[in-house]
Amino acid sequence: MSTRTLCSAVRHIVTSGSTGRWSTFRRALSIPACAMLLGAWCVDDVDRSSILAMAEAGQLEDAERAARAGGSPLVTTLGDVLVLRGRLRAADSAYEAAISGNAPLRRVADVGRAELSARRGDMADAFARAQRLVGAYERSSGDWTPEERVAAGRAYVLLGLRDARTARQALAAFDAAWAADRTLFDSQVRAGELLLEKYNAPDAKTSFEQILTVSEAHPRALLGLARVQEFEGSPEAMATVRKSLAANPALTPAHTMLARLQLEAEAYDSADVAVNRALAVDSSSMEAWALRAASAWFVGDSAKFESSRAAATALHPRPATFYATLAESAVRHRRYAEGVRWAEQAVVLDSGSVRALGVLGTNQLRTGAMEQGRATLERAFAIDPFNLWHKNTLDLLDQMKGFTVIERGRFVLVVSPEDAALMELYLLPMLEEAYDTLASRYAWRPDRPVRFEIFRRHADFSVRSVGLTGLGALGVSFGDVLAMDAPSAREPGSFNWGSTAWHELAHTFTLGSSDNRVPRWFSEGLSVLEERRARDGWGAQASVEFLAAYKAKMLRPVSSLNDGFVRPRYPAEVQFSYYLASLVSEMIEQDFGAASLPAMLRAYRDGFESPAVFARVLKVSGDSLDARFSAYMQKRFGTALAAIEAGEAPGDVRGPFVAAMREGAAQLEAGRKREAQLAFEKAQALWPEHRSASGPAWYLARLALERADTTTALTQLALITRAQETALAANTLEASLLDARGNDTALVKALERIIWMAPYDADLHAKLADAATRIGAHAVAVRERRAVLAIGPSDPLEARYELALALSKSGDAAAARREVLGMLETAPGFEKAQSLLLRLRSGTPPGGAR
Amino acid sequence: MAPVAGVGMSCLTVRSRVRRGLRSAAFGIGMLVSVHNAAAVAHAQQQHVLIITGLGGEATYRDAFFGVAVLLHDVAKGKWNVADSSLIVLTEDAARDPKRFDGRATKEAVAEAFLKLARRAKPGDVVFVFLHGHGSGQGPESRVNLPGADPSAADYATWLSGFAQQTVVFVNAASASGDFARVLAGPRRVVLTATKSSVERNDTRFATYFVRGLSSGEADTNKDSKVSVLEAFSYAQREVVREYETDNRMLTEHAILSDSSLAATVAFGGRAVSSDPKVAALVAERQGLESQVAALRARKDSMTASAYEAELERLLIAIAERTQAIRAAGGTPP
Repeated sequence: MSTRTLCSAVRHIVTSGSTGRWSTFRRALSIPACAMLLGAWCVDDVDRSSILAMAEAGQLEDAERAARAGGSPLVTTLGDVLVLRGRLRAADSAYEAAISGNAPLRRVADVGRAELSARRGDMADAFARAQRLVGAYERSSGDWTPEERVAAGRAYVLLGLRDARTARQALAAFDAAWAADRTLFDSQVRAGELLLEKYNAPDAKTSFEQILTVSEAHPRALLGLARVQEFEGSPEAMATVRKSLAANPALTPAHTMLARLQLEAEAYDSADVAVNRALAVDSSSMEAWALRAASAWFVGDSAKFESSRAAATALHPRPATFYATLAESAVRHRRYAEGVRWAEQAVVLDSGSVRALGVLGTNQLRTGAMEQGRATLERAFAIDPFNLWHKNTLDLLDQMKGFTVIERGRFVLVVSPEDAALMELYLLPMLEEAYDTLASRYAWRPDRPVRFEIFRRHADFSVRSVGLTGLGALGVSFGDVLAMDAPSAREPGSFNWGSTAWHELAHTFTLGSSDNRVPRWFSEGLSVLEERRARDGWGAQASVEFLAAYKAKMLRPVSSLNDGFVRPRYPAEVQFSYYLASLVSEMIEQDFGAASLPAMLRAYRDGFESPAVFARVLKVSGDSLDARFSAYMQKRFGTALAAIEAGEAPGDVRGPFVAAMREGAAQLEAGRKREAQLAFEKAQALWPEHRSASGPAWYLARLALERADTTTALTQLALITRAQETALAANTLEASLLDARGNDTALVKALERIIWMAPYDADLHAKLADAATRIGAHAVAVRERRAVLAIGPSDPLEARYELALALSKSGDAAAARREVLGMLETAPGFEKAQSLLLRLRSGTPPGGAR
Repeated sequence: MAPVAGVGMSCLTVRSRVRRGLRSAAFGIGMLVSVHNAAAVAHAQQQHVLIITGLGGEATYRDAFFGVAVLLHDVAKGKWNVADSSLIVLTEDAARDPKRFDGRATKEAVAEAFLKLARRAKPGDVVFVFLHGHGSGQGPESRVNLPGADPSAADYATWLSGFAQQTVVFVNAASASGDFARVLAGPRRVVLTATKSSVERNDTRFATYFVRGLSSGEADTNKDSKVSVLEAFSYAQREVVREYETDNRMLTEHAILSDSSLAATVAFGGRAVSSDPKVAALVAERQGLESQVAALRARKDSMTASAYEAELERLLIAIAERTQAIRAAGGTPP
């Protein structure tokens, strides 16, 4: 092979990389001789784009060699490659040489130097250089090459650290570069990164996808897409960042992103591997050092933490981003107070850092420091008005100024005025009960009142929780600051607001008693378990889909259950993991005693990770616990598991139970009710414990009603209503049947269950009050009459009269008298109230009033 | 015809005039519609009701408009005791209920109805016009879709000019009705519209609740057995919001009222006044006590809580006792 032929082959290989044929490119570069050839034979032919393509493929050493061999024409390129290798001083020299030697791409070198100054903390130099560049660009942008336009965009980005308005100019410069050269992917990658940084995920995604359409494995575009996926909460982020690293194993930001995702998954060893890979490529990565420190901090390795901090300080004398990253990591592990402390350090080091101010302000709010949080976010927003999180949160805080604050000893309820009376009536007593129960169980008490915020709009709750709309959760716990959807935030019957509140309060105790170190799986498992203990039917129950997933081994073993929450492999896995974790908690309590659960929390508090916690507290290994749990599942769900099979895809369920249900539905559809009944009875026999609101019990109840067999209907409905916390239709039907039968005791119970699903129906409360009165439950009747008033009845005076009557019947004549006087003060002609007043005065029982 | 009773009035001077009127009147028919001002009580006030419902377009709306017309007719006739000659109901299909409906709601029929009522109405009477249907247009050209040509807001303004000496309550419960308020505005007029502008064009729920407020006791917030226009409006407004909230829908209709002060003084309903002097005396005593409650409330801020409450209770018990006595004497409390 001649030299010319070899060079031609190498150029082909390099070109395949730049045009997107990354597999060919990577395979070719794996030929050891090729690197040598590049350095030794093809120097004249290897230009900047080829070297950058090598760098994009992760061949940094070869790229550096080729750039050095290229001499002064490639000195800027050499600087770029040196930056990627973390050799910042050498890069600085290379750029300086390019600038002083008036080399090609001098402007690119200039912005490179500015960025290096910023990384060292020399912001004056960074801004001066960036300002000079954009000044020149604004005077004569037409003369600038596409790469120089990208350089101008980078300069605007730098200036954006102090003036967010330059983001638009940066984008314009990147777009101008892209318009001039559709092969210059760097411009679109940077545009995408900037768009994402400014919270415009859809446009960012478009930018990255434009590149990936042409070059399907472009590493930085894949990394950008992974970041968009993370921003959008997609579980695919991890897989995408791995693809990026497959295309470029030396892409430091991809390693740090992977490390961060591993940290979030509480997989500290995996995070360390990713961090070490990042530092091996680029030891000047502040993010990598910060993540290394975070990992060390989580596992209590102070020496490693301090060495990381020293490395960060060596890179930058005031490493605010190091502390901001630490703060963000702490918060992701629910250690909000410590997150605030790290963020405060970041702000001390850089009072103008929007990122540091943002994480500080957001978490001040999460820890209940409302005024400080607002002030901090206002500072952040003054610097960066593009920040959607901060804007949303500040808008919400403005709106919350009109909220009612109810302070009652152990709780501070913050609620919109429309809901205040109702929440005070129902939620506070329930929270008090929950507090006592949980404090006793976990032998821990919050050291200040628990703040509970309730939002009428789900979007507001979402903003309060994460700064953005679209959060799928119903409630959130930041420790002793809780937030949740008000019942009005969702369709009636779509969630149980009582069990949700109980669930969130349980987190307060599990987080608190573990010093916020409890892993997510255990905290969630205990919360769901506490829901089930709180009231009959509350909390998650086994579904067909859950058991099918379990049988198909699509659920995590106990030893890696946390991954089911933080790294779900399919959409339903998180939901399944909640229930699974609750079963694990239940099994632990059953097998190891009630004291084992709080003991585990204390072990987490003492810094032990799950395997050590299992060993120390339960005296078993993770594998042994997995085996125990398998046996537990078989014992508990053996009958059902025999009747359920998993299909090909998640959610696809089969088996005798499913077949019987489908048979029943088909017979029903065909009008063959007797056959349908037999099929549903068969299904029920196959899985007697099945309690779903759309299971056999529902159909059998409906079929029984059609036969006018109310007794059977009620029996079947009871199976559902005692086990499903959101079975609104079943409870409503049951209530109407009980009402017709005059079974007031059961009717009261049914209506009380309904109120935790749909509390805004005044007629429902009135009906409950009537039934409660009939069985002599006057306290319930009084509460329900107050509830009618809280909702805002159509006839407020009539509702007050009913309340006065209930108060009177409950024996509280003084309260009844106050209520009557209050009514008659504004409506002295209200005859029924007049009569009641006279009876109260004479001490005549009000029984005949209605 | 009975004079106006004064329950709910805050002015003692006016009340004494009413009592004089009571003594000199021929008894038998109770208070039906009351306008609480001195001028209005100087003669036997009558009320005149014109109900117009437009084209439904489809069965759902035809039935809804029909239902509203029937209910309002029955309320006017049965509860307010409006004379047949002063009650006109024009609908899309008069044949659907010929006992209640007077004719098809064409532009000509509407014009004739206004003319008829103008001839009957005396100074000080109350004229209640209720218009419902599908609305469109804007400004003076706002309309409600009737069989044949649709009269404009300007047409209605012309027809109303014949009632300069009466108190007029004009309700347009249709969609896109908001501009009627501006076009029909005038002295001694209360104009209610289901929407705040002509832009709110979705079907409205206002009519259902407004009529329910008038027909049931729910809108009677002070339980004086009468429903003022303001009470009915507030009730309807509140219930419309509740319905939209319950259904999780964005509120697309915002009702407006042109003159809340006047609306508070125009009331419908009430009870018959007894001819028994003993009952009348008790009623007068009770009304006097109610006035004392009003006066006491005005002094509330200058009294201690306990003194206020004691005096309030004393008065309220006295009122309650008078009520019992009125009942015992075979009378009906005011």
